[in-house]
Amino acid sequence: MSTLNTVKSPAMNVNFFAFAIMPNIKLQSSDGETFEIDVEIAKCSVTIKTMLEDLGMDEEEEEVVPLPNVNSAILRKVIQWATYHKDDPPPPEDDDNKEKRTDDISSWDADFLKVDQGTLFELILAANYLDIKGLLDVTCKTVANMIKGKAPEEIRKTFNIKNDFTPSEEEQVRKENEWCEEK
Amino acid sequence: MPFISKDWRSPGETWVKTQEGWEKKKVLENCKTYTKISRGDSSEEENDPDTAIQPHCHITIKCTKEIAGFNELDEAVKRLDFRSAVRDVRRFNYICALLELLIGQQMTALSGCSQKALLAMLEEVASHATTSQYNPRGFRRLLGNLRALRSAERDACWGGPLGSQFLWHQHATKIERILNMAAEMQICEPSPDTRPKLLQLPEECIREIILRLSDHRDLTASAESCEQMAAIVSEQRIWKELVKFHFNQQQVELVLSKDNHTIDWKEVYHSLKKTFGINEERQYAEMLSLCRYCRCLFWRSLGHPCIADQCPEFRARIQEAGGASAPCPVPPSAFLKFFSL
Repeated sequence: MSTLNTVKSPAMNVNFFAFAIMPNIKLQSSDGETFEIDVEIAKCSVTIKTMLEDLGMDEEEEEVVPLPNVNSAILRKVIQWATYHKDDPPPPEDDDNKEKRTDDISSWDADFLKVDQGTLFELILAANYLDIKGLLDVTCKTVANMIKGKAPEEIRKTFNIKNDFTPSEEEQVRKENEWCEEK
Repeated sequence: MPFISKDWRSPGETWVKTQEGWEKKKVLENCKTYTKISRGDSSEEENDPDTAIQPHCHITIKCTKEIAGFNELDEAVKRLDFRSAVRDVRRFNYICALLELLIGQQMTALSGCSQKALLAMLEEVASHATTSQYNPRGFRRLLGNLRALRSAERDACWGGPLGSQFLWHQHATKIERILNMAAEMQICEPSPDTRPKLLQLPEECIREIILRLSDHRDLTASAESCEQMAAIVSEQRIWKELVKFHFNQQQVELVLSKDNHTIDWKEVYHSLKKTFGINEERQYAEMLSLCRYCRCLFWRSLGHPCIADQCPEFRARIQEAGGASAPCPVPPSAFLKFFSL
């Protein structure tokens, strides 16, 4: 136990120290609200990260980054997600199978994404715009889970999609798929 | 000196009354779902989530017919806490696959206790599937099995159910309840003025979603829902990724070498599926695992109290033998082989 303590406490000190000098960044949502967050958290968004690198922002400067495509409600959720996942290890590059396992969602993420469809899609848009790979992955998985196992009519109903096929087209698509299925 | 196993010395064989009937104490110790009915003489036990033992189940693996008889399915089902696993999105599909193999005509041959445990699990699945509307196809397949069970049980023995009349009545009402739940299930629509809608997302976002579907039936179903989805599903990339997910390089090359001119990945997928079948293990986000050291089944995300962690000597021996080896995953069909079914 004592060895554990001696190992742990300097590390915590370093963390605390780093936190103290960690510069903050201000993000402004489309409706004008500003959020002040840790730069490290903001950098999980590749869009913001490259923006900062290109501009070469100083710590001294109190600059506000405008995000015209994200409203405050969604930005708040995105920041909440990024804060929770800030210490996540980077995803392994070689395991490309993982992204197809639609049910591989951690329980925190599953609870976090128990929101209405509008919010879910806005989160996808925000993740896409801000280029946050992890958030895009988990939101898309959630939507894919809503498609999984449903018949075409049920999918239409779930997402309020209008059937824009003519009856003959519909017949043709179905036949084509049946043919593949039997082959 | 007689050999006295750990189990024998522990009070594990005592029977405890729960809300769902009598159960052995050793089974109760690692499941939270069963609340004990407190009686005057029994000492109160706390079910603190922090102190509760992770669900795990020791099992005899080198299985002969005789030994399999001692691996009791209902005990495993309860010890591994399958009922709360249903609520976990990572484990739901595994449980469904397991139930699909178990529920059906052949279930009349199981013990009454196992039947009860399985039906309770199915009811949990039904209530989850109807509220979350998650994977209705898998759920409907289960219902088909359930109907087969009902008709099989009715005339299992000279036109009447086999075994306890009372138990069968309980089953019948439970089955009825599950079927009712399923009949009332309706896909709820979002309110028409929610913005944005799925089709209002940019095409690359919809493509990202479709790329995550791992079942070709889901792809064809989404293609049949509207033109925009059909256009995306017909892209070669979607099918190529699907092939990459389900099959390895050698398998793909074997099929590709036959015709080299133009590759239609959709056809490649279907011919691969026909030749090799779909790999069961890739389907689930989480599977039960079997620890190689303590012969114990457990959920990988939850872990288990392992002999290798508790006993330093044992750990040293493992190190000598060349380091710890990972627990091996147990797909549903392998799980059933542990029991005499």
